[in-house]
Amino acid sequence: MSEAIAEKPAARRRSWDIGRYTLLITLVAIVVVTAIGNPRFFTINNLFNILLQISVLGILAAGQTMLIVSAGLDLSVGAALSVAGVVAALTIVSTGSIALGIAAGLATGALIGFVNGLLVATNRATPFIVTLGTMTLLQGAAIVISGGSPINGMGALFDVFGLGDLFGVPNPVYALAATLVVVFFVLRRTVLGRSAFAIGGNEEAARLSGIPVRSRKIGLYTLNGLIVGVGAVVLTGILDSALPNMGNGYELRTIAAVVIGGTPLFGGRGTVVGTFGGVLLLGLVSNSMNLLGVGANYQNVVLGLIITAAVLLQKRG
Amino acid sequence: MEPARAASGARSSEQARPAISALGISKRFPGTVALENVDLIVARGEVHGLVGKNGAGKSTLLKILSGAQPPDSGRIVVGNQSFAALTPITARRAGIAAVYQNPELHLDLSVAENIFLGAEPRTRLGLVDDAEMARRTSELLGRLGLSLPPEARLGDLDIALRQQVAIAKAVRERASVLLLDEPTSALNKAQADFLFRLIRDLAEGGMAIVYISHHLDEVLAISDRVTVLRNGRCVGVVASGDVDKDDLIAMMVGQTVGETAARRAPHPPGAPLMALDGVTVPGRLDHVALTIAKGEILGLTGLTGAGARVLAEILAGIRTPSSGSLLLEGEAFRPRSIHAAIAQGVVLVPQDMRGRGLVMPMPVAQNLTMARLKAIAPRHWLNLAAERERAEALVGQLDIQPRDTTREAGLLSGGNQRKTLLGRGIFAGARLLVLEDPTEGVDVDARRQIHAYLRSLADGGTSVVFVSTDLEELIDLADRILVLRNGRIDRELAPSGLTPERLLAAIQSDHERRHAQETEGTSDV
Repeated sequence: MSEAIAEKPAARRRSWDIGRYTLLITLVAIVVVTAIGNPRFFTINNLFNILLQISVLGILAAGQTMLIVSAGLDLSVGAALSVAGVVAALTIVSTGSIALGIAAGLATGALIGFVNGLLVATNRATPFIVTLGTMTLLQGAAIVISGGSPINGMGALFDVFGLGDLFGVPNPVYALAATLVVVFFVLRRTVLGRSAFAIGGNEEAARLSGIPVRSRKIGLYTLNGLIVGVGAVVLTGILDSALPNMGNGYELRTIAAVVIGGTPLFGGRGTVVGTFGGVLLLGLVSNSMNLLGVGANYQNVVLGLIITAAVLLQKRG
Repeated sequence: MEPARAASGARSSEQARPAISALGISKRFPGTVALENVDLIVARGEVHGLVGKNGAGKSTLLKILSGAQPPDSGRIVVGNQSFAALTPITARRAGIAAVYQNPELHLDLSVAENIFLGAEPRTRLGLVDDAEMARRTSELLGRLGLSLPPEARLGDLDIALRQQVAIAKAVRERASVLLLDEPTSALNKAQADFLFRLIRDLAEGGMAIVYISHHLDEVLAISDRVTVLRNGRCVGVVASGDVDKDDLIAMMVGQTVGETAARRAPHPPGAPLMALDGVTVPGRLDHVALTIAKGEILGLTGLTGAGARVLAEILAGIRTPSSGSLLLEGEAFRPRSIHAAIAQGVVLVPQDMRGRGLVMPMPVAQNLTMARLKAIAPRHWLNLAAERERAEALVGQLDIQPRDTTREAGLLSGGNQRKTLLGRGIFAGARLLVLEDPTEGVDVDARRQIHAYLRSLADGGTSVVFVSTDLEELIDLADRILVLRNGRIDRELAPSGLTPERLLAAIQSDHERRHAQETEGTSDV
């Protein structure tokens, strides 16, 4: 962020900085409070545990960030995760091939993303409504395809993502890191990412500048679908099982993480680094509340307060 | 159409207190004075015209009267209430209603629902009484001589009928002052005549009407008196019977202070770049034929709806004519997408900066490069160092202040935003640059810079077409001015020796005048 060096009009910059530092300050505060309350918090094991817990959410939130930057949205990521996971698991169970299973999961995610993108790009309906529709459809599809019950016995996939680690770091954390890096570079260094900012900031200006808005949107949703496929494979591996409802709730938590991370819902701005901060905050809060013995219902109250505060602190246009 | 001015006699005798008087209104914007100590006094039952060139302050005054903007100083007296500033709510309560070209109504509601919005008659249970609302709407419409079905959905009505609904709504609200902004610009002759009769009826009923229009013939025909603004000042209030259109034009334009601009040397006509023939858009453009030379600066102008803007969009390749041909260097120009048009070197620089132009949250550099990302991103991978370097060069050339390519476009001043938008077209490698109002809302310095830059581009062989209604800009910048009227090229004027008065007269020339001057008109080149 070389921005800090250049001179800026103080008044305009300040609100942004407050929003940004709020996240950092909150993270530090949580760490300090929890570390005092429960010394187990600061063990390496617990830190990796947190990263493991947030890995799937982080993967999905990274994809959601791209869409929200382009003033899009995908409410179907949770349901798509369930479907892709179920398809991957069925493939593994019937063929015995992990590679085919992973390929099937990724392809399913990408296909769902492509269809979402097609619907969003060619319709006047807002992404919210379009993906609300596909979300409902996919929730049903996951149950139909799986027959309504978990598909167990992932064998080597469980060995990789459920048990495996490299240098002591659980493997899903690598998947998270890879996804974050990919999205970071897509947003910063590719024409697709630049188009996302342009479309999100002013779609008509993007169109008049010759940016092929429709195909870029389809590209963004398809890439997001592929990322959902990654999340599906990782979660199926972690659980050693694909459950037809395992993705439920992810859609709103990804949006919450993106917003906490400082990306406004109306598009044109945003960073995946911020989103990672948002995911980390949600993970830390859950983890520390667990360690401090806060009940599940109170945890939701606290999470709700954090999300609301993040939205209220957000910079306007 | 010859509306009687019968009301004027009655008016002078009775009205001690005007319906509305705006006194000593001043309003400054950064870099410009929009209004300076302007008075506007309108009696009950009077139709009062408000005229002036673009940028004279008409719309600012209208915004102040309708409460959309507060004045910096001055008072607004409505009936027996006096205000330092109005808000949209206090203006409505005071009895001021504004009807714009495209009335601000709810298209999904019915005529009756629009008219009674916020004041719906209720049944005893507190529910909206639809029957009563329809009955009262019919009665109101009948009283105004309007034949509109109360239950029709507003979105299904044309602009003329929507305006009538907006006016009926004002009557229902018992408005004592009606502000009409360019009400006839989208109307045909019959619709306009109907509107004029309605306006006269309302005035006879005691309503004060402020009528803003560029169509001076209409203003003279419909109003009792006319206030003329020039450069934010009131230069006169005249009785319509005492002046003719040329008098108004002279007042609007003022003395031309000796031609100052350094016009570029007469330009030897280069090879043709773009040629149009028989270009038609039903109802908008009628068999337009036109050739644009390389290195030429062509100005398009005309009254609202005359077709200049549609023609510019067609030249820029963002609108396809229903018939006719466009040739770009001898080859058919029918881009399948805006992307394709830009690839062929045809770039639009739109007027509506916020809506269609800049991506405000993006840095200047990214706004500059977005119309040709390929130049900095071979294989879709952006070369950020190259982008910064080329953006910095452009920022220097165009003198965009501050010289900071990472600054968000939304934080720049209007003039620098216009320069950035122009820079995007240049970065895109335009051979033909089509600009809408290239210096609208820009201060004098930025305007001079933009003009100089466009001239230097033209000297380098780029063709420049711009649409403008700014007389001085047209005369200063263009090598050739085309005046459009009713979708046709009405006149072609050479700017040398052309005065703003004569240009305005050419833009204004109505049908009667056109018949009278047909021979002169076509030989005016």
